[in-house]
Amino acid sequence: MSTYVLMRILESAPHRYELGIRLLTFGSVDRAYERLTSRIESGQRVLDLGCGTGALTLRAARRGAQVKGIDVNPEMLEVARAQVQKASLAERVELVEMGVAELDGEKPQSYDAVVTGLCLSELSHDEIRYTLEQVRRILRPGGLLLIADEVTPRGRVRRLLHALLRAPLVVLTYVITQQTTHAIANLTERLRKAGLVIESTHASGLGSFLEIVARAPAGTGR
Amino acid sequence: MKKLRYVWVNVLQTLLRMLPFPCPTGLIKIGNPGRDAPVLLTCNFGLTVERIKRVLEGLDVYLLVANSRGVNVWCAATGGLMTDHDVVSVLKTSGIEKFVDHRRVTLPQLAATGIDGHAIQKKTGWRIDWGPVDATAIPAYLRAGSEATREMRRVRFPRPERLEMAVAWAFPLSLLAFLLLPFWKQGVLPVMGIVWGLSLSIFLSFPLYQARLGQPGRHLGFVFFDFGRHGLPLLIWTTFMLGLVLTLGLAGNLSWAPVLRWGLSSLVVLLILCLDLMGSTPVYKSGLHDDRLLKITLDEELCKGAGFCETVCPTNVFEVDYGRRMATLPRAAGCVQCGACIVQCPFDALYFGTPTGEMVPPDTIRRFKLNLMGKRLVRVERNESSTTDHPDA
Repeated sequence: MSTYVLMRILESAPHRYELGIRLLTFGSVDRAYERLTSRIESGQRVLDLGCGTGALTLRAARRGAQVKGIDVNPEMLEVARAQVQKASLAERVELVEMGVAELDGEKPQSYDAVVTGLCLSELSHDEIRYTLEQVRRILRPGGLLLIADEVTPRGRVRRLLHALLRAPLVVLTYVITQQTTHAIANLTERLRKAGLVIESTHASGLGSFLEIVARAPAGTGR
Repeated sequence: MKKLRYVWVNVLQTLLRMLPFPCPTGLIKIGNPGRDAPVLLTCNFGLTVERIKRVLEGLDVYLLVANSRGVNVWCAATGGLMTDHDVVSVLKTSGIEKFVDHRRVTLPQLAATGIDGHAIQKKTGWRIDWGPVDATAIPAYLRAGSEATREMRRVRFPRPERLEMAVAWAFPLSLLAFLLLPFWKQGVLPVMGIVWGLSLSIFLSFPLYQARLGQPGRHLGFVFFDFGRHGLPLLIWTTFMLGLVLTLGLAGNLSWAPVLRWGLSSLVVLLILCLDLMGSTPVYKSGLHDDRLLKITLDEELCKGAGFCETVCPTNVFEVDYGRRMATLPRAAGCVQCGACIVQCPFDALYFGTPTGEMVPPDTIRRFKLNLMGKRLVRVERNESSTTDHPDA
C-alpha cells in the first residue's frame, strides 16, 4: 500500500497573485498580454521568461505555438501546470523550474519568439544585461521579443505623479497579496545596447506600463 | 564617511530588524584580489553586507551578493527567499568568472538549509564550500585554507546578538505605546519602560532558562499573534479586562478612560510575553510552526558516510563513523529541523518523518523548503488518489 505526500498550494495563492498584479498595473496587464501575444503564430517555438502562473504561456499556446515556460518559483509553476492541464494544452507546453541565468543551456537561434511579462523588473541590473544577451543569441534572425513590464515613466512630472498614485496601491497590494513589483529604468536603451531592434512600443498607466515589440536583427549569422 | 554609513546602517536596521532591507546585488571587490583570490557569497540584507565588508577589511577577496529579498541568510535560505537560482544567477551574471581562474565559492553555512551545493556544482561547475556560521570567523577560516573548525560550525546565541534581538522586538512594540498619547499622556513612558524592560530581561537572561527550553514540548511564553491555536493569552487578557470592568462597575465609577488605558497597556505587555521567543533565537525552532513536528531520519541502507550532514548541521547532531562509513546521530535531541543535512545529502539518505509516520522525500524538502520555517503557501497533505502526475506522489 502506498501513501502519497503531496504539496498542495492554497487555492487563494494564484488568484491573489493575479489580483495583485492587476492592481499594480492599473488594470493594464490583461490587455497588454492580449495585444502582445496576437503576434504569435501557430507552430512557432516560443519561450516565456518568468512564466509565473502562466498568463502569457497559456495565451501563446492557445494560438497554436509550442511554448516553453521557465520560472524560478516552484509554487507558481504548480499553478501554471494546473492551468495548462485544465486548458488541455499540455502537449504544447513545457514548464521548467529554471532561472534566466541558465539560458546559456538553450540552443542558439532555437526560438521564433521570446515573451516576458513582469519578469525583467524582478531582475538585477546584471541579470537584465545577461538575459538580453542570451535572448539575442537564442532568437532566430528576425525572431520576436515581446515584453510587458513596469518601467519608470519619462519626464519628471509624470514620474512624480506616478509615484504618488502608486504609493497607496503598493501598500494595498502588499497587504492583500504580499506581492510587489519594481519599475525598471531605461529599458528601451538597454534593448538597443543588446543589439535588438525595437519595432514598436505602447505605454499605458501614465507611461509606467510598457509593451515592447522588438526583433533580433534579420541577418545575425552566428 | 564609510564609518558613518556603517553606524547608520547598523542603528537603523537593528531597530527595524524585523523588516527586510535589500541592498544591491552583484560583485564587490575587497582590497586587491588576484586571479586566485577567495570568492565569498552572502545575502543582500544591508546589515549583513555592511558587517561582512568590515570583517573583510585588509583582505583581498571577492564578495558576491546574491538576491535574498533583503532578508538575512538564515531566514532567507530556510524560508525559500534565497534559492539555488539566486546563487546560480550571481555566479553567472556578476562577471566573477572573468576575474578568477578557480571555481570555488564559500557560502555561509547557514545557507545550507535552502541552497543545494551539489545542484549548483552540476549547473555551474562552481564548487560550494560551507564557511563559518559567524562572519567574524571568516579571516580565520580563510587562513586555514577555507577549512572551518567544528567550533565555527556551531550556532550560538551570544550576548551581543541577544541584545540585538531584544532591541529588534522592543523598538517596534514600544512605538505602539504612542497610541496611548491622545487619552493617557502620562502612560506613554511607563508602558515604553515596561516594553523595553521585559524584552531586555527576557533575552539577556536567556542562559538562565536555556536548559529548560531544550526539552520537547516545553515552550517559554506563548506564541506571538497566534491566538487561533493557542487561545490562552487571549483568554487571560479577556478575563483580566472583564475583571477590571466588573470591579470598576461594582465600585460605581466605570468609565472609558481607565478601561482603554489598562486594556492597551496590558495588551502590549501580553504581546511581548507572547513573542515567538524560540523563533527569535538561532538555536531553537520557531513556535509558530508547532504543527510541523518533523523528525530527522536516516536511511542506513543509503548512507555512505560522506559527512555533508556533519559539516552543515548548525547544532552538531551528527558524527560520522568512518570505520562503518555511516553517519550517526548521537545528539539528535538538538535538531532544530532546519533540514540542511537533508538538502545536502548526495545520496538522499536523510529525510523528515511526519508525526503520522509518513516520509517527506528529500526532493520535496529541497524544492518547497519544508523545514522549521518553510513556505506559508504550501501544506503537506495526504492524497489517496493516484491520478495525479505530481513527481512527489
